[in-house]
Amino acid sequence: MTEDAPTTQAPRTPAREAWRRFKRNRSAVICLAIFVAYFLVALTGQIIEIAQAGDNTYAMTLNELGLDFEEGANPPSSDHWMAFFGTTSAGKSVLLRVFHGTKVAFVVGTFGAGLAVVIGMTLGLMAGFLGRWVDEVVQYLYSTIASIPYLLLMLALAFIIRQGPISAWYQERFFADYISLGLFNIVLVIGLTSWVTLCRLVRAEVKKVRELEYIQAARALGFGDARIMFKHVLPNVFHLVIINFSLTFVTAIKSEVILTFLGVGVDREPSWGQMIADAKSELMQGIWWPLAAAGIALFVLTLAVNYVGDALRDALDPRLTE
Amino acid sequence: MISFLLRRIAYAVPVLLGVAFITLLLFDVASGDPVSIKLGKSPDPVEVEALRIELGLDKPLLGRYIDFLRQIVTLDFGTSWADDTPVREIFKRGVLPTLSLSLPAFLLGGLVSVSVSLLVAFYRGTALDKSITAMAIAGISVSSLIYILVGQWLLADQWKLFPIWGYEYGPSAVYFLALPIFIWVLLSVGTDVRYYRTVALEEIGKDYVRTARSKGLEERHILFTHVLKNCSVPIITRMTIAVPFLITGSFLLEIFFGIPGLGSTLLTAITNSDLPVVKAFTILGAVLYVLFNILADVFYALLDPRIRLG
Repeated sequence: MTEDAPTTQAPRTPAREAWRRFKRNRSAVICLAIFVAYFLVALTGQIIEIAQAGDNTYAMTLNELGLDFEEGANPPSSDHWMAFFGTTSAGKSVLLRVFHGTKVAFVVGTFGAGLAVVIGMTLGLMAGFLGRWVDEVVQYLYSTIASIPYLLLMLALAFIIRQGPISAWYQERFFADYISLGLFNIVLVIGLTSWVTLCRLVRAEVKKVRELEYIQAARALGFGDARIMFKHVLPNVFHLVIINFSLTFVTAIKSEVILTFLGVGVDREPSWGQMIADAKSELMQGIWWPLAAAGIALFVLTLAVNYVGDALRDALDPRLTE
Repeated sequence: MISFLLRRIAYAVPVLLGVAFITLLLFDVASGDPVSIKLGKSPDPVEVEALRIELGLDKPLLGRYIDFLRQIVTLDFGTSWADDTPVREIFKRGVLPTLSLSLPAFLLGGLVSVSVSLLVAFYRGTALDKSITAMAIAGISVSSLIYILVGQWLLADQWKLFPIWGYEYGPSAVYFLALPIFIWVLLSVGTDVRYYRTVALEEIGKDYVRTARSKGLEERHILFTHVLKNCSVPIITRMTIAVPFLITGSFLLEIFFGIPGLGSTLLTAITNSDLPVVKAFTILGAVLYVLFNILADVFYALLDPRIRLG
């Protein structure tokens, strides 16, 4: 076998193999770079804001920030970087709002999809591996959740979290200062509604993996269920989790936009959904740039993540190894 | 067939019971106190007590659950809190405008997607295939709100091709519906083309296609008779499952274009905290979803002789 020849190279771990396959897809690498750029904006957006004028710079007009611009809407101009995308009808910097919206999008995407993935993965693993009544319960749970139309479930849940005791509980927690209630609601709604697809996929895959010999070997060695599940089964289905995370990340961000637009999402801070909602009346006055800025920001990120997701599927699926 | 149907329905019953229970929990328990939602922050205690009894909130949870199930079976969901119209009336009012938008849009969208994906599958691997697939990915990456906002602004406000807002009952509705239908088709085509293209390509890779080719059949003939017939199973399944969403309607299109359908009704109910309406909507949506899923299974079994209903 020639396999043994390049001993000086790093060992061929599955992760390295996947990365090698991923790298071959040029456009996917570019899209990954775009994603990282967005992430950096999400991280530094707030720092830039605070450096400019303290917290909530996005809520101030350019005049209040000491810049010489006309009151009200200004079209995009190159006079100052904060006016690069122009100002809203209230005279606030569109660019700063896009930056803040990027942060909101990443919080929603990461935590919303993260919560969904953790729920879906755990339930799927348990259903597939433990079988019997656990399987029955999980199957019942997801068929029930899946029966409620998605947007309706999201709207209902968003509506309820707002009304109910959960928001009162949240406001007293220390993290309420960092992630606003509206944002927390969205994360919760997306996490609790988007786990079904992954759960189904993981369950089906685990059912197959459970029958393999190495699992029987692990059983024979006397390992406990939890250890076999998380240490031996999970790595074999983890590619599903990663791919699904990228898909749910996009859905989460798009859902934020729609929920916020419908008035049950992020409030008291700018998000892309908020910007698009404001743009509805601005557009009719010919102020197109806030919509364009938010729309393009959302479009490029969505496209990049969609592309990376497709490439991840090709790179990670163990059946596609050559 | 009948035993299959019965089994399928028997399986759906516990799911529907679960949905009803979740809906009840969501609206009557997790939302806090429905009475305070209806009466405001500092209501009169006598009034509160009267309302609690009227809404059946003095009963234990099980009692309320049974009440709710009775409502579902009799389709009598009480009256709206906003203006005391029976919820059933609200549905009757909204269903026609909603269907007049969603049904043509759905049929047109399906026709366009299936033809485009067959075309793309026919020219697979060529520049046409690649550019249409790329367009589909780009298309689904744009937020649906952008399509609506830009479409309304550009086509209705700037170019004055369509009315911006409004609805009329009767044949003149076409005038108001043309633009929202167009946007709906645009919104659905991207996802559908991607899906149907995969379906078609999977079929094209199968043995019977190779056999047909080796018999010397024309590629076009193979595609439109052999492949399309085999693709019809997933196409019809997908379309059947989508039907309940035609009735719940498109919230966004209805709101933007002022169509007085079920979608905009629901949104008004949500902003007004009109619990009976939102509750009825959720449960009816779920019932329809479950029913049409059963129907999809039936079609699937009828169309595909390989599937046995044992």
